[in-house]
Amino acid sequence: MLFNLKDAFENTFVVTEKEYSKFLDLSNDHNPLHTDSDFAKSKGFEEKVMHGNILNAFISYFIGESLPSKNVIIHSQEIQYKNPVYLNDELKFSAHVSGVYTSVNAVEFKFNFKNLISKTVAKGKIQIGLLS
Amino acid sequence: MDRKQILEEVNEIFIDTLDDDEIVIKEGSSADDIEDWDSLTHIQLVVATEKAFSIRFTSKEIQSWQNVGEMINCIISK
Repeated sequence: MLFNLKDAFENTFVVTEKEYSKFLDLSNDHNPLHTDSDFAKSKGFEEKVMHGNILNAFISYFIGESLPSKNVIIHSQEIQYKNPVYLNDELKFSAHVSGVYTSVNAVEFKFNFKNLISKTVAKGKIQIGLLS
Repeated sequence: MDRKQILEEVNEIFIDTLDDDEIVIKEGSSADDIEDWDSLTHIQLVVATEKAFSIRFTSKEIQSWQNVGEMINCIISK
C-alpha cells in the first residue's frame, strides 16, 4: 500500500516577495489588508497580511510533488486560517495520513502550518485520489 | 442498528455530502435518481459511509451495488 495510516510528511515554506507578488498577479486580490501596511495595522495586525490562499498553493506542491507517487489528484480540501501570515514568514508544514479508503483509491491527510514560534497559522484536511 | 436506522443514517450522509437538505433516499435509489451523484460524489459517499459506520468496503463490493438497498445489505454484512 502506497500510503499507510499515520504516514507523516513535512515541508518548509517561506512566503517571500516572489510568492506574494506572483499571487497578487494571479488572484488580482489587492485588498488593502494584503497590500497596505497602515490599513492592516489599523485593523490590529502587525503588518500587511499574506493571502491565505498562498498556503493552498503550498498544499498543491505537497500533493503534486512531495508524495511517493505522481499519480494523484485532489478531491477536496478544507482549511481554517487560525493566525495571520506575514511577508517572509517561514512556515513548517506537517501532514499525516488520517484515512485510507482502498475501496475507492482515496487517501485523507490532516495538515497544519506553523510559524517559527510554533503558532498554528492554518490547519485542515485534504482528500486525494490515487490514479490508476 | 436496524435497517430503517441505517437507511436514516445513510440519508444523512447523502444530505451532508450533496449539501442538499431536500434529499430523501430510498432502498431503490440509485445515481440515476439523484442529481449531482457523479463519480466524485460517489467516492465521497463511500468515504463518508466507511467513516460513519467504522467499516471498510472492498472495491468489488462497491462495484456490485445497483442501488442504496444493496449498499445497506453490505453495511449490515460488516
